[in-house]
Amino acid sequence: MDNLTSLWHGFAVAATPINLLMALVGSFVGTVVGALPGLGPINGVAILLPIAFALKLPATSALILLAAVYLGCEYGGRISAILINIPGDAGALMTTLDGYPMAKRGEAGVALSISAWSSFVASVIGTIGMVLFAPALAHWALAFGPAEYFALMVFAIACLAGMVGESPVKTLLACVIGLALATVGIDANSGVYRFTFGDVHLADGIQFVVVVIGLFSVSEILLMLEQTHTGGEVMKASGRKWFNLQEAMYTWWGTIRSSLIGFVIGVLPGAGASIASAVTYMIEKNLTDTEGTFGKGDIRGVAAPEAANNSAANGAFIPMLTLGVPGSGTTAVMMGALTLYNITPGPMLFKEQPDLVWGLIASMFIGNVMLLVMNIPMVGLFARMLTVPNWFLVPAIAAISFVGVYAIHATTFDLVLMTGLGVFGYMLRKLDFPMAPLILGFVLGDLMEQNLRRALAISNGDVHILLGSGITIGLWVAAAVMLVVPLLLRWKRNNKLIPTP
Amino acid sequence: MVDRVFAGVWLLLTLGFAAVARTYEAQYSYEPIGPRAFPLLLAGISAVCSLWLLLRPRRIAETLPPLPDGGLVRAVLLMAALVAYAFLFEVIGFPLATVLVTVAIGRSFGGSWPHVAVAGLALGISLFLLFDRALDVTLPLGSLWRS
Repeated sequence: MDNLTSLWHGFAVAATPINLLMALVGSFVGTVVGALPGLGPINGVAILLPIAFALKLPATSALILLAAVYLGCEYGGRISAILINIPGDAGALMTTLDGYPMAKRGEAGVALSISAWSSFVASVIGTIGMVLFAPALAHWALAFGPAEYFALMVFAIACLAGMVGESPVKTLLACVIGLALATVGIDANSGVYRFTFGDVHLADGIQFVVVVIGLFSVSEILLMLEQTHTGGEVMKASGRKWFNLQEAMYTWWGTIRSSLIGFVIGVLPGAGASIASAVTYMIEKNLTDTEGTFGKGDIRGVAAPEAANNSAANGAFIPMLTLGVPGSGTTAVMMGALTLYNITPGPMLFKEQPDLVWGLIASMFIGNVMLLVMNIPMVGLFARMLTVPNWFLVPAIAAISFVGVYAIHATTFDLVLMTGLGVFGYMLRKLDFPMAPLILGFVLGDLMEQNLRRALAISNGDVHILLGSGITIGLWVAAAVMLVVPLLLRWKRNNKLIPTP
Repeated sequence: MVDRVFAGVWLLLTLGFAAVARTYEAQYSYEPIGPRAFPLLLAGISAVCSLWLLLRPRRIAETLPPLPDGGLVRAVLLMAALVAYAFLFEVIGFPLATVLVTVAIGRSFGGSWPHVAVAGLALGISLFLLFDRALDVTLPLGSLWRS
């Protein structure tokens, strides 16, 4: 009951004009960013974050804006998946399998509307899941000490290393690079200047926004140079614009199943929207595809992954808000956003900032209704944006990114550092290093070091404290399992692929 | 191969990082772990990872996907344009720098001269008005012109 009262207060926060406006702007921008191939939620959030900060938005409004962008992206990704057979973001990859064939059959309107509907259902389920489980998890996490936190962060990193990218070693190294970047600047405990090389600009450490924009916006611009797709050749969203009741009933249970599974996968650190949609697509195919129509334009194959990627996005908020340990790149960026406002997410957040947390959750309900309205009747508008040529789009992204970074400190130094990091990120991405773990490492770096040092200060330097409680031991074991199991699976698969002579 | 070159370079950087980190010492120590332990721990993990990438036996031939024709040249030019944008941002001001960078980037993405010129003017002026005037995010007009 407590949760419902809090949620009610949350609606009062979310319904203020500025927060409604932010949800609307975020939903719109998110759908556009999601629809544009190459740009995903992390780019959208990264580009808008410094602007929100520069506009001196209050923390709650800024978070509402960024969350709406995130959810909007999960809606928008399907538009390009269905109309041009290119996923607009990673979570929409599975949607191309059945969405594009449907569009070729002239059922683009049906595919677009049913996927918007299943996204909506899933997002509502995901948000209800947040209401039910987030406060309980936060309450449980209150008992965490520094040793538990350190182990939890190691677990989050292990999850990423096991699941993201093809090479766990590269993922781990990416994470370490992020952690190392976070050590730059004055050390809070001892006052020692680390890795500043005497430059006053680095005394406070590398700005979060500089790292995020460099890695996700500048490097993206360089990667877009290799894209073959250049606007045009968009399928006409002709024919019936709305799905009918029969189609809604036909996809209903698949949507519900996928929403629930997607939510659980989203809560796990490391696994995000793309894994959720892939898993649920396979599950639905195995469960319901008796005639072998999946992959040939089956409407259930459109509804299921779209439901999963939306509820996974909702689920991903839970570890970030309640534990202060983000499980994905996008939520890591949002956590960085909160840190800019001197708000540390974690179990205390629900006690100390109830307006922020519940306002955010309530705004997700509101944002979803806005997104549904935008994404069915107005889908043609977004489809037209796919025809914007890159020679206009890319300079616009560059200019807005530079404005965002400049707005924080107004120094050329930050701009140059951002560009340098962007080129570095581009090289890493060309070498198949994933970027999400790097940003996660950067966000967690300071927390991780502080918790480690605090834990060892409590025990007077005895490392046994790191294994001192049931929770820590459980987390270390879980981390080991997350690292070893995918490795074994991969090793088995590789052995199968290449028969030894 | 590219992987191994990178891993080698990275290993050297890691050693440099560790060497610098070793010198950090707190003047007044009231905790068992000083400012250098965590960076050294990271350097250790990083060294192990890069050694693995440098020396691992390879089953599958891994090469980078080839860039499209002239891709490397275009990528380098694009990087140069972005670096120039960063350095010129304050010196010649946001509107002019944006016009120039739009033309440069637009050309490398295959826009025609008239198109990118119009796009540059449109972006330079409209974004300046939007951010500096409407949204109160102060942007530079150029230190060069003031003196």
